[in-house]
Amino acid sequence: MAGIPILTLMTFFPLAGAVLIILVRSALAGRAETASTATLMPAAFVISAATFLISLFLLIGFDPSASGYQFVEDVRWFAGVRYKMGIDGLSLVLILLTTFLTPLCILASWHSIKHRISEYVVAFLILETLMLGVFCSLDLLLFYIFFEGGLIPMFLIIGVWGGADRLYASFKFFIYTLLGSLFMLAAIVYMYIEAGTSDIEILEQTAFSSGAQTWLWLAFFASFAVKLPMWPVHTWLPDAHVQAPTAGSVILAGVLLKMGGYGFLRFSLPMFPDASQFFQPMVFVLSVIAIVYASLVAFRQTDMKKLIAYSSVAHMGYVTIGIFSFTEIGVQGAIFQMVSHGIIGGALFLIVGVIYDRMHTREIAKFGGVVNVMPVFAAIFMVFSMANVGLPGTSGFIGEITTMVGGFQASTWVAFGAALGVIFSAVYMLSLYRRVAFGEITNPDVAKLKDMTALEYATLVPLVVATILFGIAPSLIFDVTESASARVLDLFNISFGG
Amino acid sequence: MLADSLIQFIVLAPGLAAILAGVFQKQMGDRLAMGLTTAVVAIAGMLSVWQLIAYTFGGDHAHGHVITLMRWIDVGGFEANWAIRIDTLSIVMMAVVTGVSALVHVYSWGYMAEDPHKARFFSYLSLFTFMMLMLVTADNFMQLFFGWEGVGLASYLLIGFWYHKKSANDASIKAFVVNRVGDFGLALGIMAVFCIFGTIEFAPMLEAIRGNEVVTPLAFAEAGPVRDLDMAFLGMNLPVLEVIGVLLFIGAMGKSAQFFLHVWLPDAMEGPTPVSALIHAATMVTAGVYLVCLVSPVYEFAPVAAAMITLVGAVTAIFAATVGMAQNDIKRVIAYSTCSQLGYMFFAAGIGAYQAAMFHLFTHAFFKALLFLGAGSVIHGMHHEQDMRRMGGVAPYMKFTYAMMLIGTIAIIGLGIPETKIGFAGFFSKDAILETAYAGGELGRMFGFLAFGLGILAALLTSFYSWRLIYMTFHGPRAEVADAAHPHDVHDDHGAAEQTHSAAVMSAHDGSHDGGHGDAHGHDHHGAHTPHESPVVMLVPLALLAVGAIFAGFFFYDPMVGHHYKEFWGEAIWTAPENTVLKAKYDVPHWVLWAPLVVTVGGFVLATFTYFFNRGFGARLAARKGPLFSLFSNKWYFDEIYQATIVRATKWLGDVFWKVGDRRIIDGLGPNGVAALVQRSSGILSKMHTGYLYHYAFVIIGALIVFGGIMLVLMQGVG
Repeated sequence: MAGIPILTLMTFFPLAGAVLIILVRSALAGRAETASTATLMPAAFVISAATFLISLFLLIGFDPSASGYQFVEDVRWFAGVRYKMGIDGLSLVLILLTTFLTPLCILASWHSIKHRISEYVVAFLILETLMLGVFCSLDLLLFYIFFEGGLIPMFLIIGVWGGADRLYASFKFFIYTLLGSLFMLAAIVYMYIEAGTSDIEILEQTAFSSGAQTWLWLAFFASFAVKLPMWPVHTWLPDAHVQAPTAGSVILAGVLLKMGGYGFLRFSLPMFPDASQFFQPMVFVLSVIAIVYASLVAFRQTDMKKLIAYSSVAHMGYVTIGIFSFTEIGVQGAIFQMVSHGIIGGALFLIVGVIYDRMHTREIAKFGGVVNVMPVFAAIFMVFSMANVGLPGTSGFIGEITTMVGGFQASTWVAFGAALGVIFSAVYMLSLYRRVAFGEITNPDVAKLKDMTALEYATLVPLVVATILFGIAPSLIFDVTESASARVLDLFNISFGG
Repeated sequence: MLADSLIQFIVLAPGLAAILAGVFQKQMGDRLAMGLTTAVVAIAGMLSVWQLIAYTFGGDHAHGHVITLMRWIDVGGFEANWAIRIDTLSIVMMAVVTGVSALVHVYSWGYMAEDPHKARFFSYLSLFTFMMLMLVTADNFMQLFFGWEGVGLASYLLIGFWYHKKSANDASIKAFVVNRVGDFGLALGIMAVFCIFGTIEFAPMLEAIRGNEVVTPLAFAEAGPVRDLDMAFLGMNLPVLEVIGVLLFIGAMGKSAQFFLHVWLPDAMEGPTPVSALIHAATMVTAGVYLVCLVSPVYEFAPVAAAMITLVGAVTAIFAATVGMAQNDIKRVIAYSTCSQLGYMFFAAGIGAYQAAMFHLFTHAFFKALLFLGAGSVIHGMHHEQDMRRMGGVAPYMKFTYAMMLIGTIAIIGLGIPETKIGFAGFFSKDAILETAYAGGELGRMFGFLAFGLGILAALLTSFYSWRLIYMTFHGPRAEVADAAHPHDVHDDHGAAEQTHSAAVMSAHDGSHDGGHGDAHGHDHHGAHTPHESPVVMLVPLALLAVGAIFAGFFFYDPMVGHHYKEFWGEAIWTAPENTVLKAKYDVPHWVLWAPLVVTVGGFVLATFTYFFNRGFGARLAARKGPLFSLFSNKWYFDEIYQATIVRATKWLGDVFWKVGDRRIIDGLGPNGVAALVQRSSGILSKMHTGYLYHYAFVIIGALIVFGGIMLVLMQGVG
């Protein structure tokens, strides 16, 4: 496949599809309006499914034993800025996660999005391009454009197709992320001036002075911590999730949050090793607070989506613990946890979507006894509840135990705090499940519910398979990310003479 | 030993059957799902029991080996396989697990005959069996943890099997969460093992301890001989084996319902009775004992951790026995009895007599499963009545069940003639434990004499509450409910119990049902039902368990704790050469040998006086609500204390974090504060707030353009 710019092809394929949809729509404007609306979702699904197939070619062509970046495309853009794309194992698994989730999101939107459908699918496809761009970029400015650009479609998805309080949610989302990106942009400019290039591969080899590292690290941290999100800059997430349409929540939890963890691994550790070491205790403290605090808050929620949003905050705490343990198992585990949470968190939002579409409420108290009328749904919900509490045999367990093992070697306090999350996650998740699925039916609307449709099966069954498959054979992911993790740690250790 | 392929069948087939019966329950129908799971587990049970017998009496003491199935995880030196470990411990456990499970499967054909969700029930039972087998055949901590939490899942699903009952849902969550507290310790223990030994496989880790090898920890300690190594743990500097020992034991405490973490077990009786017999008596709850015995080399060189096990075990034994005396629900009495017996096993292990602990685990499986299934037979025959105060006089109606319950009772109280080999199963194993405890005390083991003393006292209470159960259930007049002298609170209770009872059987009674005994199932109040004997399919398992409850002790005493115990256990249970408690039990004074018999008879006499000759005396005693009785009947107020402290604190913290932390502080100072500030100063934001959404997008794009421009300018300067 040498010679084919496969990364560019894949990244911009959804965008091209979106343009095509716009063109066809305007050509057909006025005529056959309803007919063309009915074909929008299938068209978007085909485009995103094709993108997934392209990404599978990456997996086939990828050499897991090679260190460094593969499929590199490198063209001078302007000044010292390059249009440079390339991936390693870390990027690859997140790319596959993105291309895997997007078609499922389109399926989940099939009946639930009822107005401005063409704008919706266009926004979604553009969002996919921007997310893929983030994971493929090997130039800092290019990365920044994709990273910040992704906000716009997400912002629109929440703001246009969201719930009643969507304006407040999108405003909050905006304030937080903007603040973070301002600092990051300043840091990027400084690095460009300092190194004369924004080429990531060169920047990785550039030794910034300790003092500069501190400021640069903090600037990047501001952006990544908001994205992840870490405590205390997490409060935008519950609101964004609650207001976003189902598919928006899936992408938010499944992919956008992972950009924070990706950023730490791609930039903070390799480029600012001294500062990463220096700030390790702070990150640990914030991570453990996130796990304990968010789990306890989750326990008290009355809105299903808020509960799962807080649970996401807690689960991201394991990611930062793994990364900043600076151990192989911790870093590998953090990457695994990102993929795993993408699957499980995404699936939980889809599950809420299934009953929201029927009941038009997310209020936990309105449910109860759902298992009587939707037994298959209840079974799948059980699988993901257990995955979310980290039951061995699901991917959730592998992510939690490996990051904690990494954390233990850095500090037993961290492992101790993180392991508390193992208890609390059972508390909030099982009480959610019980209040929704078990008990007698008290709400007459619940009695009328019908079990899952074929379309809903199609969105959830692949995720069930994925979470159990990766739980039993985690090497499928570890083998792909191994050399990338080793490389991150090598770059990190160089400054310590290791 | 069996061929590898047969062993793989034993372990894996129940899992496959569970998945098939669970996923395709609609397509398969009840009969096929039940038939498949029962057949598979029955075959596995026969094979495993055969394996144990051949291993024990066939002189075939071949060395253990490991069947590797598949690589599970391999990351940063953290390696574990899916594997089946064959050694004496796993052979014993496999026989117990599949043997009892097979009988419970068969029994459930009768017990669950009227339930509308039979396929689901049998699927869960087989799933449990599979997970338990994974636990006991693991060759590493990861698979052990998989099985450990897997049985927790099965237990959760089965306790909450009747999911419309609030009490069942409460109990299932409680069980899962309290077990998670234990798992918290176990998980940290596994991390500590990896950190110190660089492996999570049992063989190399235990080998290093046996040989006091030099290990190189990944962190917190310099390289050195493992028994002398200290590590920094939570700011303390402690011997590594003590740290690992205590952490692993916390896991064992959760699963085996030991003092402080016992609160879930009595509530777990909300599950169907066959489940209580299999999971909450014979197998799952013994997993903690199994774990402690499995890693015996750790405790051989961790005296403090071992002393902690002894103390917790001894306290649990006596505590649970006191509570068991004052319960009225037949299943709860047996549940506390289980808790108490597990305490015996633990203090034996703490003293260093791991073999005695395993021996008691083995015999206990027979008589405790027998008692539970017998109680189930009574409950079935009494139309789902569980309150012993509304039983009485059942014996004539259920002669066979009565006989079986008598055998179970005689076995659990450990009746036998000291200094001979005449006695029921419990006699051999319980007395072995008490003798080693005394011997341990003489040898200077910490808490040895205390454990012996509490163990003797608990034996007295065991005899008392066991006979109390027999008398209240089977003897005396029928229809005690109509008795005028009946304490009033019983009637209040009655109403509540009747409600849950009808909820429990409601699902069973909708639609057409009542194969054999529809005549007896009128639901008028006040115990007008006539008790009836259970179907043969439920009685056969009782008979088989009774055979074990009588003879298991006699036949397995010599191999397991007798003079040849070392040949039997081989490397599976390793004790230090200095540890001679098991041999020293032959040298204890005569009074130590006879003391258990004396207290057992004493308990019998007391119970007979109170509940047989002076029927109503016990009830009057209860009605007085003396302080001691209140303490016991309220289970030492554990639930109330936990509710008032931990549960309340958790909820309060969650609310504070959410409403004060998130809303007032973070949002108030953060985004909302910013909004208010901007609004006050310019009023722009308020316009935007009410304005159209695209304004926001415009702001983002605008900001990007501005930043991009700044950057371009700067870059021109550089480039």
